[in-house]
Amino acid sequence: MRRGFRIEPYLEFAKKAFAREATYRMEVFTSVGSLVLRIYLMRMVWLALYAQNVAPQGIALHQMLTYTVVALLMSLILEVDGTRLIRDRLRDGSIATDFMKPTSPALFYFSDGAGQTALHAMLILPSLGFALLMVHIDVPSPLAAAVFFLSFAIGYVVNFFLNFCMNCVAFWTMETFAIQLIVRWCSDLLSGQIIPLLFFPGILERIVLALPFAAIYSTPLLIYIGRITPAEYAGALLSQVGWLVVFAVLGTIIWRAAQRRLVIQGG
Amino acid sequence: MSTLAIWADVYKQYWRINFLTALEYRANFLVWFAFTFIYHATALAALYIVLREFPVMNGWSFSEMAFLYSLWMLAHALNNTLFLTVGDVPEHVRDGEIDRVFVRPLNPLFQILTTPQQIFPDELILAILLFILATIWAKPIIDVWFVIFMPLVVIGGALIDFAINLLIATCAFWFVKVDGLRWVAFQLEQEFTRYPISIYTKGVRLVLTFLLPYAFMNYYPATFFLDKTENALHLAPQVGLLSPLVGVACFCVAYAFWRVGLNHYEGVGH
Repeated sequence: MRRGFRIEPYLEFAKKAFAREATYRMEVFTSVGSLVLRIYLMRMVWLALYAQNVAPQGIALHQMLTYTVVALLMSLILEVDGTRLIRDRLRDGSIATDFMKPTSPALFYFSDGAGQTALHAMLILPSLGFALLMVHIDVPSPLAAAVFFLSFAIGYVVNFFLNFCMNCVAFWTMETFAIQLIVRWCSDLLSGQIIPLLFFPGILERIVLALPFAAIYSTPLLIYIGRITPAEYAGALLSQVGWLVVFAVLGTIIWRAAQRRLVIQGG
Repeated sequence: MSTLAIWADVYKQYWRINFLTALEYRANFLVWFAFTFIYHATALAALYIVLREFPVMNGWSFSEMAFLYSLWMLAHALNNTLFLTVGDVPEHVRDGEIDRVFVRPLNPLFQILTTPQQIFPDELILAILLFILATIWAKPIIDVWFVIFMPLVVIGGALIDFAINLLIATCAFWFVKVDGLRWVAFQLEQEFTRYPISIYTKGVRLVLTFLLPYAFMNYYPATFFLDKTENALHLAPQVGLLSPLVGVACFCVAYAFWRVGLNHYEGVGH
């Protein structure tokens, strides 16, 4: 930083991460295939449920299917653990060299994550193609679409920092795999990825809507299907930004402590 | 010593090591226990929340769906407790570790199944607890058939799960990477068994009944025990009692294929 900030090295890191992810071709196909299976499954589940019951919470079948498919497409990006590199490099010790380089280690991990995300974002198009063969997806108004993308972007950063904090825990415990999966499953349920948070009973609904997980999936999705109206956009985005700030600050604190910890381990 | 006594002794030692390892790495054990618990708890919570809003799914209520889930979980947990290590075969083939089992004078599959790692029957215990709860909620007809057939159905279900994992693992003798295949089977087994298969299209129902017969782990037996009409393929409900046979048949097919795979692999080595 002292020598003046240059963006080029970070773009190069991102490009390398993109190329690295692209070499795991089988994994890429598997993630699209698994998504297609899940879209089929959820389509059949909601069809069966709507066939015998009254639409709850005023969410019609077509809205529900749209919600589910968009949530699954979003998960292609949101399930990327952008900073898992921290964990890997801690385990094999190469993290030390990251701190010796003239670039910022945190920004190095961030750009690596951005590169991985870019590759997975490219899978959205073919997946959307397959999805459209099975289900009809509502198209939102241009305003709703624009606000959805903005909200999704904020949710992405919230999720990114949440993962970053989790990966930094490895500075203390080395192993975070099980804990991360536990948090992932809870977050899948509490963020509205699997089912809309509006379905949660009574007081629970208000609690889950107030938790940070809602900022990841629920807010953008409810904007997409029109349950958050234009009059509510500002409030919804503001609460997302609030969580972003909280996690960014938390991430910074943990990162500082982690750096100290690394020095102690090395000394 | 007779062969059987040797097998029994090896098996005893294997479980002794498992338990000792679990005791040694207590923190790790607790984390993995939490992992197992949360996995099933979130799945059931999602079912509960959805079925609060929509009281029935193709004629199945939440308590019946919980029973369906608990039957699957019992078979799945039994498989995970006894046969989990078969999933490591592709990795052993890749790094050459598999050669070890050929030089020892013991059945190769038995050796794979007794490779010590940190296995503890915690998931099975959770599954039994859930099964008891679900049985109280869903009120299946508890008679002599239930008592005799339920354990057999669970063992049959575990054999189905195991046999399909073995089939996929055996493919590693020809293709080094079988992760994609494994994922598809994994998803069909874990997610498609959560709902009565009558909600799927005809092709998927047939696949889950005849090709990858996961429906025999829970759907068909649950249909019988809960006294429901079978409306996926319109079979007699008694079909659910065939699960043990289906399990044994699947295992025989998978074991034969495994032998073919072993011979093929040895052929390559020479």
